[in-house]
Amino acid sequence: MLVIQRLTGLLLMLYSLTMLPAMVFSLIIDDGATDAFERSAALCMACGVLIWLPVRGKRRELKVSDGFLLTTLFWVVLGLFGGLPLHLSDRPGLDMTDAIFESVSGLTTTGATAMTGLDTLPQSILLWRSQLQWMGGMGVIVLAVAILPLLGVGGMQLVRAETPGPMKNTKITARVQDTARALWMIYLMLTLACGLAYWLAGMSVFDAICHAFTTLSTGGYSTHDASMGYFDSKTIHLIAALFMALGGLSFAMHFVAWQRADLMTYWRDRESQVFLGLVAAVTLLVTTALLLGGTYVEIGDSFVNALFQVISIGTSTGYATADFTTWPSFIPMALLLGSFAGGCAGSTAGGIKIIRVILLAKQGLREIQRIIHPHAVVSIKFGGRRLDARVVNSVWSFITVYVALFAIMFLGLLACGLDEVTAVSAVATSMNNLGPGLGEIASNVTTLNDPAKWIMMAAMLLGRLELFTVLVIFTPAFWRR
Amino acid sequence: MANLFGIPASVPEPVRRLGAVPRIVGLLLTLFSLTLLPPVLVSLYYQDGTHTAFLTAFALTLITGAMMWRLGAGLNRDLRIREGFVVVVSFWVVLGLFGAIPLYLAERPVMTFTEAAFESISGLTTTGATVITGLDTLPKGILYYRQQLQWFGGMGIVVLAVAILPLLGVGGMQLYQAEIPGPVKNEKLTPRIAETAKALWAIYLGLTVACAALYWLAGMQPFEAIGHSFSTVAIGGFSTHDLSTGYYNSAAIESIAVFFMFAAGINFALHYRVWQSADIRSYLADTEFRTFLALVVGVTTVATGVLYFHGTYPDADRALIKALFQVVSIGTTTGFTTADYATWPSFLPMMLLLGSFVGGCAASTAGGMKVIRFVLLWKQGLSELKRLVHPSAMIPVKLGGRNVPSDVLQAVWGFFAVYIAIFIVLFIIMLATGLDELTAFSAVAACLNNLGPGLGEVSGNMTVVNAPGKWVLILAMLLGRLEIFTLIAILSPAFWRR
Repeated sequence: MLVIQRLTGLLLMLYSLTMLPAMVFSLIIDDGATDAFERSAALCMACGVLIWLPVRGKRRELKVSDGFLLTTLFWVVLGLFGGLPLHLSDRPGLDMTDAIFESVSGLTTTGATAMTGLDTLPQSILLWRSQLQWMGGMGVIVLAVAILPLLGVGGMQLVRAETPGPMKNTKITARVQDTARALWMIYLMLTLACGLAYWLAGMSVFDAICHAFTTLSTGGYSTHDASMGYFDSKTIHLIAALFMALGGLSFAMHFVAWQRADLMTYWRDRESQVFLGLVAAVTLLVTTALLLGGTYVEIGDSFVNALFQVISIGTSTGYATADFTTWPSFIPMALLLGSFAGGCAGSTAGGIKIIRVILLAKQGLREIQRIIHPHAVVSIKFGGRRLDARVVNSVWSFITVYVALFAIMFLGLLACGLDEVTAVSAVATSMNNLGPGLGEIASNVTTLNDPAKWIMMAAMLLGRLELFTVLVIFTPAFWRR
Repeated sequence: MANLFGIPASVPEPVRRLGAVPRIVGLLLTLFSLTLLPPVLVSLYYQDGTHTAFLTAFALTLITGAMMWRLGAGLNRDLRIREGFVVVVSFWVVLGLFGAIPLYLAERPVMTFTEAAFESISGLTTTGATVITGLDTLPKGILYYRQQLQWFGGMGIVVLAVAILPLLGVGGMQLYQAEIPGPVKNEKLTPRIAETAKALWAIYLGLTVACAALYWLAGMQPFEAIGHSFSTVAIGGFSTHDLSTGYYNSAAIESIAVFFMFAAGINFALHYRVWQSADIRSYLADTEFRTFLALVVGVTTVATGVLYFHGTYPDADRALIKALFQVVSIGTTTGFTTADYATWPSFLPMMLLLGSFVGGCAASTAGGMKVIRFVLLWKQGLSELKRLVHPSAMIPVKLGGRNVPSDVLQAVWGFFAVYIAIFIVLFIIMLATGLDELTAFSAVAACLNNLGPGLGEVSGNMTVVNAPGKWVLILAMLLGRLEIFTLIAILSPAFWRR
C-alpha cells in the first residue's frame, strides 16, 4: 500500500505542474483567475508532498493487482483536486459539488457541465476545463491499451492478444511506460493536426486549441454555450466529425497504421469495420428521418447534422451542432442508446465498446444455433481464432453489471426527484461518458440537486474505469490478497 | 385412411418438411374449440346475448381444426423436438388469433380485430394488458371468457416451462432437465409431457379451487371468485372490474390474492416435489425460492417505508398491505392493482416496473426473466470479481452445492443480452408510433414481462396505443412468453432446413 501512497503523492505533485499553463495564460491576458490557479497549484503541491514525504523511500515492482487501486485513485484524487481552480476563482465561483462535478466530468472525458454562461467566463478557466479533458484522454489511452487488458477487466485481455500494438510486456510499469511513450505521441500529433485544421477553418487560436483538446479526448467541453453550433461552418463540423471518429478508434490501431504507413490497417480490423459500418448505417437512418420529419429541408444540412450528431454521440463526445433532443420521434432516444455501444476498445470513447457488442451478437446467434442443433459444438470465433470461455464470461459479466448498475443508479436519481426521461438520460450520459442528456439536462445539469450530481459522478467514474476496476476494490478478497 | 388424398406419395418437399405440424395445430384447435363452450353456458345462464358469438367462434375453430387435423394425418407422425417448438409457438400464436374471434364477433364490446387479437393474446400469455374499458358493464359471458383465456394460458405455461423449455434448452433452462417429474429416462417427448402435464395440472387445479373457495368465503360473488381465481393462479391479472382488485377494498381478499399470486410464482416442479415429500421445508432448501422470498420481503420493506414517510398512507398497516400487494402483484407479473401505483411517490413506480423484469421463479406461471437467471447472473458476477483478484484461480459457479455447467451459464447470459436487446428495439419502435418515452418504455416492459399495466398513459389500459403499436406489443407478449429463443428459433431458416 505504501508504494501506492508514494505514487499518489508523486502524481499530485506532477498534477500541480499541469496547472501552470493555465496560470501563465491567465497572467498574460489578465482575466482575474491567476490567483485561483496559484492557490490551487500550491495546495495540490503541498498535499502531494505531504502524502509522498513519509513514504518516499518505499520502492518495489508493482503487482498487477495494484493496478486496480492505482487506477481508481488516479481518477478520484485528480478529480477532487482538479475542481480547485473552479471553486477558488470568483468567476465561475462554483460550490464544491459543482466544481468537483465539472472536474470529474472533465477527467473522465464525459463533458456534462454544471456551468452556464461559458462565453463570458475567464479564458484561463475555459482552457483548464479543456485541458482536464485532454489529460483525461491521456489517462484513458494508457488505461484502455495497457492496464485494462492486463487486469483482464470485462474481457479486455482479448485486446491484449489481438492488438498488434507496441506493448507485449506483462510488467505493469514497463507496459505503462511503453504505451505512454508510443501512444501519447500519436495523441499529441492528432491533437495538433486537429487544432491546426480548426484554426485554418476559421476558429480563433484559443478556440482551436481548446476544441482540439476536447475533440481527440472525445470529451465534448466547449468554450461556448452553443457548443459546436456556435461555429456556423460546415467545414468545422466535418473536421470535428473526422477527429471525433479518430478518437473513437483504437489508439493501438493508429499506432500500427502509422508504423506500417498503411491506411488499410483500419479496414482489416473487425472492430473498426463494425464501428465505421454502424456510424454509416445510423447516419443514413437519421438523415432520412430528419428529411421525412421536415427538420431540415436541404439534404446537405440534414446529412451534415446527422453525421456530426451520430459521431458525436456514438463516440460519446457530446458536442452539439443542433438541439438533437428536439429532433422528431425516436431519434433522440435512439442516439442516446447508441452511446451505449460507444467507440472501440483502446480509444478515448466511453460506453460498452464495440468489441463487446460484437461478442454479444455472436454469442446471441450461437445460442440460436445451439437450440436448433443441441448437440453441435458451436464455438465463438473472433479474428479467425476460437475465443477463450474465460473472455466470453468476462464480457457477459461486464454487460450484466453494466445493466444492473444502470438500473440502481436510475432508481437513485428518481429518488432525488428527477423525472424519468431526465433520470434515464442522466445515468446513460454519465456511465457512457457522453455528456448531454435528454429532458432537463439536455445542455447542462444546473437544475439538478447535489445528491443527483454525486450519483452522476459515481456513474462517470464507474463507466470510465469499466466498472470492475472500481468494484474489485470493494471486495474483501481484494484486501486479503 | 391416411391416403385419402394420396398425400404421402405426392407431397411436395416444403409441405413434407412440416411433418406433424398441421396435425398438431389441428388437434390443438379442435381442443381449444371445446373451451368456447363454457362461456356459452355462462352467457345463457345470465341471458346476456353473447352466446351466438361464442357458438359461431366454436364452429369456426372446430371446423378449421378438424380439417387441418384430417389433412395433416398422412404426414409424418413422429413428435420430435422440432415439433415441440411448433406446438409451443402455435399454442400462443394460433390459439391467440382464434381466441380473438368471439371478442370480435360479440356486439359488446365493439372491437376491431386488432383489439380483439390484443386482448386474446394478452389473455393467453397471461399478460393482462387490456384495451377494454367499462369492464363492469360488459356481458358476463365475455368477462368469463377473458378470465378463462388466462387460466388456459397458465396451463400451457406450466407445461411449457416444466417440460418443454428444459428439453429445448432455451435460455439455460436445461438446468432443470433432471428435475422434470415423471418418467425422465424416456427419450420420447410425448409420454414425458403427458405425465408431467397430469401431475402439474393437478396442482394447478388444486390451487385454483382453493383460491376460488377462499375468495368466495372472503365475500366475493361466486362468479367473480371463480373469475379472479383463474387470473390469480395464472398470474394473468385480468379482472371483472375496471378498478381491478381495488374494487373490493377488502384486506382479506387482498391477502388471499397475495398468497396465491406468490404461490403461483413458485416453480411448479418444486410444488410437486414438496407435495411428494410432504415436507414443507423443501421449499426453503431451494435457492431460487429463497431468493424470490427475500426479494419480495426486501422490496416490500423499501416500498412500505417510502409510502409511509411520504405520507401516501399515514397508517403503517395500510402502507404495508398496499405495498405488499403491489410488490407481489408486479413482481410476479400478475398486474392486479389495489391502488394507482403509477402515481406513488419517488422511484417506487419505476422500481416495481423494473422488478417485473426479474419476475417469478422458473417453471411458474410468472413472466419476466425469472429469478433463477438472476441468481446465476449474480453468482457469475461475484465469481468474476474474485477471478480479477486471483487471475489463475478456478472459481466455479455453484447452485445448490453443484457446479453449474458453463453452457448453462452462457445460455443464461445469451438470454439476458437478447432480452435487453429486444427490449431496446421494441422500445424504439414504440417511440416511433408516437408514444412518449415513459409510456413506450413501460408498455414494452409490461408486455415483454407479461405483466399488464404500465406507467404513464398505459397505467390503466392500452387504448392509447395505435394499431401498429398494438401489434408490436402483441409480438412483445409472445416473445416474452416464449422466452424469446423459442420464437426466434422457429423464425430462422436453419430451423426448417434440418
